[in-house]
Amino acid sequence: MGSIFSEIFGVYYRAVSDMLDRSEITENEINHIISEKAFRDSVLFLPSKIIPRKDGSDWQLLKNGADGKYNRITKNPPVKIAADIHKRWLKSKLSDPKIKLFFDDATYKRLSERLSDTLPLYDRRNYRYTDMFSDGDDFSDEKYRENFRKILSAVKTHEILDIDFTSSRNNRVHRFFVPVKLEYSHKNNRFRVYSQMIVNGKSVSGGIINIARINTVNGTGEYYKDIPDTKTYFSERRCTVPVTVSVTPERNGIERFMMEFASYEKHTEMDIESGHCTVKIWYDKSDETELLIQLLSFGPVIEILDPDDFRAQAAERIKKQYELLYSYETADNT
Amino acid sequence: MQVTFVCYNVSDGAEGISGIFLKGMSRVSGFSELIKSFEKTRDYVRDFFIYGYKVRNEFERKSSRTYDNEKRRVESWLGDNLKYDYSRRGKHTSISVDCGHIHENPLYSAYYSKSFTDNDIRLHFLLIDILYGGESLSLKEITDRLSDDYQQVFDEQTVRGKLKEYADEGIFVKSRIKKTDYFSLSKDTTESFFNEYEGLSDAVKFFSEDEEFGVVGNSLLKTAEMKNDIFLRKHNFIVHTLEDILLPDIFDAIDNKRYISFVNFGTANRVSPVSYTAVPFRILCSLRTGRRYLAAYVPEYNRFNSFRLDYIKCIKKGVVCENYDIYYEKYLKNENRCFGVSFGTRHELGTVTPVKLTLYINEKTEGFVIDRLNREKRMGTVERISENIYTYTADVFDPNEVMHWAKTFIGRIIKVEGGSEKIRKKFYKDIERMHRMYIEEGL
Repeated sequence: MGSIFSEIFGVYYRAVSDMLDRSEITENEINHIISEKAFRDSVLFLPSKIIPRKDGSDWQLLKNGADGKYNRITKNPPVKIAADIHKRWLKSKLSDPKIKLFFDDATYKRLSERLSDTLPLYDRRNYRYTDMFSDGDDFSDEKYRENFRKILSAVKTHEILDIDFTSSRNNRVHRFFVPVKLEYSHKNNRFRVYSQMIVNGKSVSGGIINIARINTVNGTGEYYKDIPDTKTYFSERRCTVPVTVSVTPERNGIERFMMEFASYEKHTEMDIESGHCTVKIWYDKSDETELLIQLLSFGPVIEILDPDDFRAQAAERIKKQYELLYSYETADNT
Repeated sequence: MQVTFVCYNVSDGAEGISGIFLKGMSRVSGFSELIKSFEKTRDYVRDFFIYGYKVRNEFERKSSRTYDNEKRRVESWLGDNLKYDYSRRGKHTSISVDCGHIHENPLYSAYYSKSFTDNDIRLHFLLIDILYGGESLSLKEITDRLSDDYQQVFDEQTVRGKLKEYADEGIFVKSRIKKTDYFSLSKDTTESFFNEYEGLSDAVKFFSEDEEFGVVGNSLLKTAEMKNDIFLRKHNFIVHTLEDILLPDIFDAIDNKRYISFVNFGTANRVSPVSYTAVPFRILCSLRTGRRYLAAYVPEYNRFNSFRLDYIKCIKKGVVCENYDIYYEKYLKNENRCFGVSFGTRHELGTVTPVKLTLYINEKTEGFVIDRLNREKRMGTVERISENIYTYTADVFDPNEVMHWAKTFIGRIIKVEGGSEKIRKKFYKDIERMHRMYIEEGL
């Protein structure tokens, strides 16, 4: 098996492959491909190796052509091969229950047959997720698969869907939505769909729907094209004020905290005198309770400083906890 | 010949790309945005990502120049994802990513930066071009074509090496006819896969951001000039991809029931890393703490242990472990008593410690907490004792792990029993400290 870390899959090879896709290329086009496909500073290094040089120190994959253009020395555009490591990876994924969300049974069977002689890249049983929730979605459920595919299709086409679902508070909701993105949480082992609610052809609000809570979903044949880009969509869902937390080095708190909150967008600053770290965390407003619980689990190793209402929520839980612990202890002792 | 990209930085030697000049092929300064080895870079990328507050002189492992080169390289790979802040202590470099709202893990770039030689890249495109039409050619025929059709002279040994490498990678197919090897281009084009199996492109887009070797799927997408624009990941620990470089060797050792040796650079062992020989079983992942571990048996200490993957380096596969199946069976028995990843201080098969939590949950208004308890209980048992009173009990190796989770129920815990006195006292003391912090002094 080849290695994941190989130049064959690297950005330089990809950029050059793009250049050799066409029989003739200009210097501007070369620079454009580099800026699109390669690293930020590759433009400083790559052109001198791909553009023909008199001393022959270039890669000699292009030659000078007419009108200041360059021609490839190859006769054909490069063929893009799925390498062994790609096929082995695919083979491993065939044993993941989520893969069947994407295929009908016949296609899954055909792909399995094509990869029948391929060894899997890894055995999924070699991983154990110690704290994955036990009530994840049933990916093999036919209705779930059907709903998932309708939503996946609508994410791509922006079709408005007629969705009937049961909310987390057990309310039945029946509205029109245009799906924006599909989100998977490994911890929850669940898919959710970020969507925009549509009323009279206009987007009125955003929302998240758990796929497993959907009762029915039907296409409307109508489309909503005014979907905001990802950044804009999620900036509207983002907290207005970040939570500020002071983290102490006690019990290796800083290292533990930085790892556990690595998935959040954050800004950190260390006070070298106190050894404390001040961290600002930005979060999706719908995740506020989850964040609060996660922060409290660090105990006195961290302190929530700001904003006041967030700190007050923490204080309320701690007060309740303190009273529970000592009122019951007193009751036990009497 | 190794391609060397040389630059001189005429500024202060630390920042940016201004003042960089290319110097043909001469080897002077030695900076390249491509790398030979993943290992060193892995540390820096991780530290930039995890510890956004570190300044230059806190990267104690290497010289300032190494730091500057690594930083410049990471800047080039990650572009806008790298951020700079200033404080009294100096300039901080950090990777700032809102991991829940990205379509592609930016740290994959580290895998796409492997250095190569002039011959490597030339032969890559020329050999594929020669075999384009589906012909099956011998080494001699290919070497002749290189010379005749492209005016590129290579010795047979170089071409043979590349042909073998690409046959191993599955890019070429090797067949043997009358003691002569023939090579043809694999028919498994990315186009053939994606066109033939409806839904495959969406599946690869989804799995390209997966915890398990997502980078390979991303590489497949990029080869086919596609990108994920549909799926997002919540609780997304993108830094794990840096550890994937270790896993093929570990999995190979597991598959072949071999020992492995490695060096552990844990927090306590940064200065004096410790070498281990162990029997590997599994990768344990916490989706809450963001840590991944290698679970293994360490014969020297006659015990099972979990090693943080981000602290492991220099993995070497060892000899076959004759008692692998016996150890594995014992491991599985032990694994069921690990609340998280810790085997506590027990040896091969130790005793477990019971822990019991009593919780107050308002059944009328807080049914979701009962649901939470049930879905997060792992090997523990949840029981309803009386109206609004529930217990959680578990027999575990390390009650500390239960208590860290128990604190996510702050506001509902009536009593902690079992574990050890030290652990119980710590919990009570923590609540008192938090009460002082937030209530007595804090409001």
